[in-house]
Amino acid sequence: MDRAHELAPAVGGRARPFRARLTGGLLVLPGVGWLLAFFLAPLLIIFVVSFGSNDTTGHVVLNDLGFRNYIEATKPEFLPAFANSVRYSFLTTILSLAIGYPIAFWISRHGGRHKILLLILVMLPFWTSYLIRTYAWMIILRDNGVANSILMGLGITSDPIPFLNTDFSVVLGMTYGFLPFAILPLYVSIDRLDDELVKAGRDLYASGRGVFLHVVLPLTMPGIIAASILTFIPAMGDYVTPDLLGGAQTSTIAKVVQVLFTSGRDWPYGSALGFMLMVVTLGGTLLAIRALRQETFG
Amino acid sequence: MSDRYDGSQPDLERELARYLAERRLTRRTLLELIANVGAVAALAPIVAACTGAAASASPSQVSTATPIPPSSAPSATPVATATPQPTPVPTPESELFIYNWDGYIGDKTQSDFEAKYGIKVKYDKFPDASTQITKIRSDLKGGGYDLTYPASTDIGPLSRDGVISALDHSLLPNLKNLGPTWVDPDYDKGNKFSVPNYWWTTGIAWNPAKVKEDITSWASLWDPRYTGKLGMLDDLQEVFAAGGFRLSLPANTTQDTDLDAILALLKTQKPLLRKYTQDDIGDFTGGQLWMTQAWSGDWVQMTYDPGSANAKYVIPSEGAVRGSDTMVVLSGAKHPIAAHLWIDFNLDAKVSAANSNFIGYMGPNAAAQAFIDPAILGNPNLNPDAGVYSGLAELVTLEGTDLSKYTSRWIELTS
Amino acid sequence: MKTGGNRWLTAFAIAIYIFLFAPIVVLIIFSFNISRRNFVWLGFTTDWYPKLFANRDLLDALSITLQVAVIAVIASTVIGSLLGLALARMRFRGMGASEVLVLLPMVTPEIIMGISLLIFFSQLFGQNGSLGQIAIAHITFCISYVAVVVRARARNMDPHLEDAARDLGSSSLGAFWHVTLPLIAPAVGAGAMLAFALSFDDLVVTSFNAGVGSTTLPIFIYSSIKFGVTPQINAISTIIVAVVAVALFIGWRLGTFGGEESRRVDTEADALV
Repeated sequence: MDRAHELAPAVGGRARPFRARLTGGLLVLPGVGWLLAFFLAPLLIIFVVSFGSNDTTGHVVLNDLGFRNYIEATKPEFLPAFANSVRYSFLTTILSLAIGYPIAFWISRHGGRHKILLLILVMLPFWTSYLIRTYAWMIILRDNGVANSILMGLGITSDPIPFLNTDFSVVLGMTYGFLPFAILPLYVSIDRLDDELVKAGRDLYASGRGVFLHVVLPLTMPGIIAASILTFIPAMGDYVTPDLLGGAQTSTIAKVVQVLFTSGRDWPYGSALGFMLMVVTLGGTLLAIRALRQETFG
Repeated sequence: MSDRYDGSQPDLERELARYLAERRLTRRTLLELIANVGAVAALAPIVAACTGAAASASPSQVSTATPIPPSSAPSATPVATATPQPTPVPTPESELFIYNWDGYIGDKTQSDFEAKYGIKVKYDKFPDASTQITKIRSDLKGGGYDLTYPASTDIGPLSRDGVISALDHSLLPNLKNLGPTWVDPDYDKGNKFSVPNYWWTTGIAWNPAKVKEDITSWASLWDPRYTGKLGMLDDLQEVFAAGGFRLSLPANTTQDTDLDAILALLKTQKPLLRKYTQDDIGDFTGGQLWMTQAWSGDWVQMTYDPGSANAKYVIPSEGAVRGSDTMVVLSGAKHPIAAHLWIDFNLDAKVSAANSNFIGYMGPNAAAQAFIDPAILGNPNLNPDAGVYSGLAELVTLEGTDLSKYTSRWIELTS
Repeated sequence: MKTGGNRWLTAFAIAIYIFLFAPIVVLIIFSFNISRRNFVWLGFTTDWYPKLFANRDLLDALSITLQVAVIAVIASTVIGSLLGLALARMRFRGMGASEVLVLLPMVTPEIIMGISLLIFFSQLFGQNGSLGQIAIAHITFCISYVAVVVRARARNMDPHLEDAARDLGSSSLGAFWHVTLPLIAPAVGAGAMLAFALSFDDLVVTSFNAGVGSTTLPIFIYSSIKFGVTPQINAISTIIVAVVAVALFIGWRLGTFGGEESRRVDTEADALV
């Protein structure tokens, strides 16, 4: 790609580099500026704190900066929690995609005049409070809750099935919570899909499956990537859902970070572990994106 | 429990800052004051504090600061103008910012208070003690609130760090209602900084329909017959204390060997547990837990639910934790008079009883006992007699390396 | 698409809608529960609705939450869309770093973001939490989400369309307004919807940035859970659902949802190339 051309999105011939750079700058500046001021600067403070330590009365001291917290944060004791976090986030992402893609597809291709209405209808549950929805799931999944009452009433089981406090309830709750974050970008990408391309694809590939795999999927890949990012990343950091719906065996690394900050009152250690979590999440995401892009576009 | 705050050697700078804050003076105004009435009268409270008369500083602070000419002090320093003789209560502010647990006071307490004094109460809530402490320590002055309800074990560190102010006992005539054991508690001699609120025990609650035996020991929470139906509290000190009781170790031990032994015992329990619960009431009444470590007041709330009205509670034989919490005025309080009125209001016998009846926790108010629901009063597990009570253990606030010993093991256990 | 496939897809879609609305139905039903504690169905009552309107604290919390959400949505949608557009279509120095910067707020555990802002505001500005502080925090993480969604859509967009518009005599701003914006409009709308959901529901970051008189609904509810969420909170959620549903119904009746419209814009735009 010709770099000069890209820098000047104005038409060929009348290259206006300065004007274009100004436009580029204007577009980027508010966002980057805001993030630098209100995200990066506070984060740097915490970053510095992560190299500090607590004194005997539990106050943060910064006079002896070192890596000890980071070394502590890589202890093997954390592996089960890390493994749980990755497992739940991964499953949540896969399920969100598996559920989100068909419904986004259906709305886009079969919604007709009511497309936007159907899309807003999908979002409607998520404009009630997340905590209330999670609490409603607890009412449904409790040992004496709606689900078990129905199952026992129908005679399917005689003892209540322990739905709550398990991997199942955690993944269910997380998937439910992150579904709109998957559906929206998927919808945006699928809706952009040109019918002509799909028709052309059908000429090339005889089966519907072929069309899907070789035309639809690659063309909607940016949406899939966006949906995966918007689901996997926050899922790794979510401790509230596993806290409410999980049990003694479903601990996550996000919860460990929260414990360190709150009951443990160890901000330096908690920050260090939090940054480790960020590194793992970000690294994993970037690798996955690169792999997905290469596979789709060669 | 050892008293961690020794009031006899306060930091002078901190005392001065607190003194000024209580009276809403600036240093400049203080200097004017000294010029007007003399250093001794103006600074007497600090001098008194520094010479070790900490316990009795409260009343003397008030009386010696009386002669402040109105011209040099802001109008809202009624603390300084109050005298030991019975006088009408100084004019309170029009608002009060309280920071507390949800459902921690009787249904009508807030509205009755507002009606009686015409003070508008802004009542913000926190979900757990860590959030509370983080918030009030965020600026070391209370985070914008006037009054909050910390655990008794927090009083030491909070007063040491200047987060809470000394109380003006002249504004709290209902202190006379306190039972004898509460007038001079270990954690805050003479109730200088705090007023006791509730006390409770931590024992075992169980569902007799599912657990058809009488529970008397912590060992029952390790019973594999109830795998997947057992619960412990999501509180590292409570859980370690329970383990410690089974091993006959002291409740607040910081010995590494002790803690390792407790950790090993707790690890054998973990596969049997359903949850380390933050909502013992919800998980119990929802049917997930048949037997769980629980706070005494929470057990009372469990019985309010028709499905678990028969729930039982016991203080196990090996020992149990007792705890209490308090009301304090934060050092950055903008409405200190109103805060004192609230405390005094809640010390009234009937109000205290209404609070206790609502939430199921006993209060420290001897006069209130006449009005408390007999079911609560007569229950030896909720209201154990003095002999049992003194045998219970009280948790201390852990800090620094001591806390790390517990935290690292807790994380190892739960993750 | 073969008709058989259609039927399966539609059935699946309906199942998903049921899944999405199951907890909503439960929460609506339990807003009529006599029991204070939302645990067991004890009987029908509509008492909680009038009680809700008398509950000053709850209504204040809702009001604060909505105010913050409106501010956060507007600001983050504008800033985030511009950012997403730039990242998709322009090459500039520091682009790689900007891409990472945009992802960082999402990657950061909420508790770290919350505490970092707490320290930032209390130590540097002596702030104890306020509506403004919460709004700033919300805008910060919403920008990332909007940017990612808009970037995905803008990447798909043909950059020559804007060039073509300029060729035809339009100014840079005009090309942006009449060509680019309509094409990314669905993504901007999606980003705005996401931002609203994020802001309305945020708990952790908000709890570290709230102060006296700026309690939001999630904080209010989370502080209540220990003692059982009263049906008043269900009632408020039911009302929100009802209001939006009614608005949707009216919009549908008026036929203002131009699903066909946006398609037409796309195909016309493609025809230009």
